[in-house]
Amino acid sequence: MAMNEHTVRAYGEELNALTAEVTRMGGQAEAQINDAVASVVRRDVALARQVIERDAKLDAMHNEIDRKAIRMIALRQPMASDLRKSLAAMKLAMDLERTGDLAKNIAKRGLSLAETEPMAPLTRSIERMGRLVSQRLKQVLDAYTTGDVDQAVAVWSTDDEVDEHYNALFRELLTYMMGDARTITACTHLLFMAKNLERIGDHATNIAETIHYEMTGDELTGERPRATATPSPSEIGTPEQNG
Amino acid sequence: MTDTRAAARIDLDPLRRWVVILPALAAMGLAAVLQPGVAPVLAAGAVVTVMALVLLRRPSLALPISEQDEPDVSAAGAALAAEALEALPDPLLVIAGDDAEDVGDRAIVRANAAAAALLRLPSGGQDHPLHAAIRDPNLLEAIDEALFGRRTQSIDYEPGGAQDRHWSAWVAPLPGHGEAEGRLAVLRLRDETDSKRAEMMRVDFLANASHELRTPLASLSGFIETLRGHARDDPAAREKFLSIMAVQAERMTRLVADLLSLSRIELNEHIPPSGKVDLAGAVSDVVDATGPLAARRGIRLKVTREGEGSASVTGDRDQLIQVIQNLTDNAIKYSPDDTEVEIDLRVGVGADDAARVRTPNAAGLPLLTPDRDSQARYVLITVRDHGPGLARETMPRLTERFYRVEGQKSGERLGTGLGLAIVKHIVNRHRGGMTVESIVGEGAAFGVYLPLRVAAP
Repeated sequence: MAMNEHTVRAYGEELNALTAEVTRMGGQAEAQINDAVASVVRRDVALARQVIERDAKLDAMHNEIDRKAIRMIALRQPMASDLRKSLAAMKLAMDLERTGDLAKNIAKRGLSLAETEPMAPLTRSIERMGRLVSQRLKQVLDAYTTGDVDQAVAVWSTDDEVDEHYNALFRELLTYMMGDARTITACTHLLFMAKNLERIGDHATNIAETIHYEMTGDELTGERPRATATPSPSEIGTPEQNG
Repeated sequence: MTDTRAAARIDLDPLRRWVVILPALAAMGLAAVLQPGVAPVLAAGAVVTVMALVLLRRPSLALPISEQDEPDVSAAGAALAAEALEALPDPLLVIAGDDAEDVGDRAIVRANAAAAALLRLPSGGQDHPLHAAIRDPNLLEAIDEALFGRRTQSIDYEPGGAQDRHWSAWVAPLPGHGEAEGRLAVLRLRDETDSKRAEMMRVDFLANASHELRTPLASLSGFIETLRGHARDDPAAREKFLSIMAVQAERMTRLVADLLSLSRIELNEHIPPSGKVDLAGAVSDVVDATGPLAARRGIRLKVTREGEGSASVTGDRDQLIQVIQNLTDNAIKYSPDDTEVEIDLRVGVGADDAARVRTPNAAGLPLLTPDRDSQARYVLITVRDHGPGLARETMPRLTERFYRVEGQKSGERLGTGLGLAIVKHIVNRHRGGMTVESIVGEGAAFGVYLPLRVAAP
């Protein structure tokens, strides 16, 4: 009896530790994005180098979480919500690791950008978009730590805000490049940065889906609601459309 | 903890002790009666036994005391301390952790109201897992350092989110909570958003100032290069370039002059001026100086006056002239050709009357409001143009340095972006107020009101 209790408690602790590690990894990923964007805005070469170096830490965390989750599935053979928890940890770690890679890429481009002329209005647009994206990641990670499915769904359903920012920035950059060919190098870097941020936003959406699956057991499917439109009958049940 | 306390209570159970001691005393008494020779020894033994009883009883008595009576004093102190910590505006947390390797075991064991509100902890915030509240890797590292490295640190903490707040986090180990019964650390956060923002504004100002200076400089050096090169022997081009260069040089001069006067005004902003200035005279001086320039574009300056008596205020004449000049220059700059710029002077208005919106249906905003004085009478100068007007959302930023309304950053209407900032600082020094009102497409009006000079008794 005593042995059994101990086993159950240790199992609970293991699951708890797994959640804690995913959260910690989330915090690290958030910091990577914020620092990467800050390094671009402030033209802080040292900070950009730090971001690039610290990416290894995220990779190590990803491996550790994978290892622990696999170990747990193999040894404890979890069922139902516990199984989903372990699987979700692996999926989240993967998304966070990709997020970190994108942040690292932003920092790398920041290094090249620091060698060109400062383009204050454009980096300000990047800063705005970076803030928006990191807010989404923060919200979705908050949803994970507090177990708030509704918040995760809220993040999932408001992805078009990031897209709008991306499109606006895209137009802005094109205008600059057409106006002055010398800015093309810098603008291309900025364009990729914006694309990276947009993809980080997509990962936040993935994370929201994973959280929804972990907590409810159901997949989040269907067309993401658009800002104004209510889903029409044709849109329901065509999840791939939104690609 | 409760287990050991219960055990102690059973061991020292007074009933059981009496069961042992009473027969012992009885036996001693009996022996003393039977053998009088050893009576003193036995009496001493009895005393020792009773003493032992009393001494042994003490802990058993002490327990209820520490649970009931004594706490009345120390618990009152503890409750007071807890209440004080609870009321602190700075978020304060006590964090526990046992295993350096297990990141999941850190817990918030205590949080005051400010911390619970900031980190959105469930009520009380007791034994809340730390990772659910704080994710920032630097802060987590600092907490671990405090728990396991027993090191005190102060770091920056920016939790992100919509508010964009900056905190200074201070983490220290709690002494006396080392290895044995769970390690504890205390974390205090202090809001430094304001000072961070002020610092950023200063950096922005410097960046803007140098940026503003660099643009004309770049064009100057570009033209110099051209004049040395292929335009060397082209008198027509040379003439054209030189006149552009003159404009740019003039712009730089203006900018430097504005920057200097702004910094001078700021230095004296808290020293009240002492001279006597007749605003009606100041207005006509400005009109005389500016009129010819405006007339070239067919713009007429029309001065009207309302109210009786002298329009004298206490002030610095040069600075007040600059106020009227800047407002008039702005109005002319944004006026279409062949229109009117109206300068209205109203003497003896109250503060509320001076600050109200005068044009029907116009959007208005007070840009500067003096300390309230219902007795004071003001001279109000309103400068009105019939230009494109200002959108409501641009109004709060008008007196910001280097702020220029979007779309007016280039072209012939090139200003320094400092004019209204200077006006605001001067008016503030004179304890006056400033307003703006506008209808988009119909024009804008800036009002400045200054306290009327009280006639010397």
